[in-house]
Amino acid sequence: MSRRVLVVFAHPSRESLNGVVLTRVLDGLRRGDHDVRLRDLYAEEFDSRLTLAEKRGHLDPPETKPQLTRDFDDLRWCDTLVCVHPTWWGAQPAILKGWFDRTFANGVAFTLPPGAKNIRPALTNVRRIVTVTTHGSPWRVNAIQGVPGRRIVDRGMRAVCHPLCRTSWIALYALDRVSLSRRERFLRRVERRMTRL
Amino acid sequence: MNATVVYAHPDPESFGRAVLDRVVRGLERSGHDVTVLDLYGLDYPGAISPAEWQAYGTGSPIIDPTVAHHARLVQSTDALVFVYPTWWSSMPAIMKAWLERTLVEGVAFALEGPRNRLTPKLTGLRNVVGVTTYGSSWWYVKLVNDAGRRSVLRTVGLLSAGRARLSWHGLHSLDGQTARRRERFLDDVERAMGALR
Repeated sequence: MSRRVLVVFAHPSRESLNGVVLTRVLDGLRRGDHDVRLRDLYAEEFDSRLTLAEKRGHLDPPETKPQLTRDFDDLRWCDTLVCVHPTWWGAQPAILKGWFDRTFANGVAFTLPPGAKNIRPALTNVRRIVTVTTHGSPWRVNAIQGVPGRRIVDRGMRAVCHPLCRTSWIALYALDRVSLSRRERFLRRVERRMTRL
Repeated sequence: MNATVVYAHPDPESFGRAVLDRVVRGLERSGHDVTVLDLYGLDYPGAISPAEWQAYGTGSPIIDPTVAHHARLVQSTDALVFVYPTWWSSMPAIMKAWLERTLVEGVAFALEGPRNRLTPKLTGLRNVVGVTTYGSSWWYVKLVNDAGRRSVLRTVGLLSAGRARLSWHGLHSLDGQTARRRERFLDDVERAMGALR
């Protein structure tokens, strides 16, 4: 089944290993004949800082935030969200965390009915969330840090998606020490997984 | 004791601002020297810039004078206090950007030996404290998991090589709280800050 895939890329350079990962993600998706939209947050110079107006209006409807129209449209369009990024300090780069902060807005990602204590899911079109990431540190260090980035997405963001939404975390650890052949194996795995989404 | 308070909230009239004021008051009452880094007030960038990413591997990763200043503060501070609203289970992007830009190699840690072993460098740090407000209720925060708390206490805590005392203060269901319970939270926070040694 071909899927509608929103790929969000958060790395300052396409010349980096993450840039290579992105290429392989897109190759895999093309081979699987999926519909793809790509958001390159650094190339777009996305401002990750939720503004004062957005904070004060955080329960206002999406129409009041025309600066985020494209993001809202992308989120509502996709059934699969693929995030490609390095893991810095155990979590997503700030630019991607900020994309979550600003675009997972009321009326798009969640609703808060009057009197409700917690948000209700509104992004029920999203049935898959895939993270493809590289860690500078070995798996063990990430385990000590508690992998907060994985929790943000696989628990926090997933909670507003489809109730059966599946999440996967495809990661390469200890970047600086890993052999070329392992790196290539990781890239092949990424490509394969994207084709078969 | 020197205390550095890192604060992120876009709204100067928010409850978050009141939290900051009481944190500062508590510290000052006990005679501590307090420096507040108000990230929104400083118009702090929301991401590592491409130039900073290029500089990261060079051994002198800091190219911005503001970052250099903050790095010096962090190296000589006895307490690091993070004050922020929790958005999507973690800190606002602007604060994540602060961690990424400030706690770099040579400041917060060193990579030593042939295997690039991570060696903590903030060994003078005696306290790492997080103070946050959650929109969600206690059980929701536990369920989706408190990634921000992990980022602050474990990741930053790790850099003190286990020497810093870690403490956490959170107010849940912010919008549903009575004025009295909010006031009690502020009192508790001020008292806890005054008791830091």
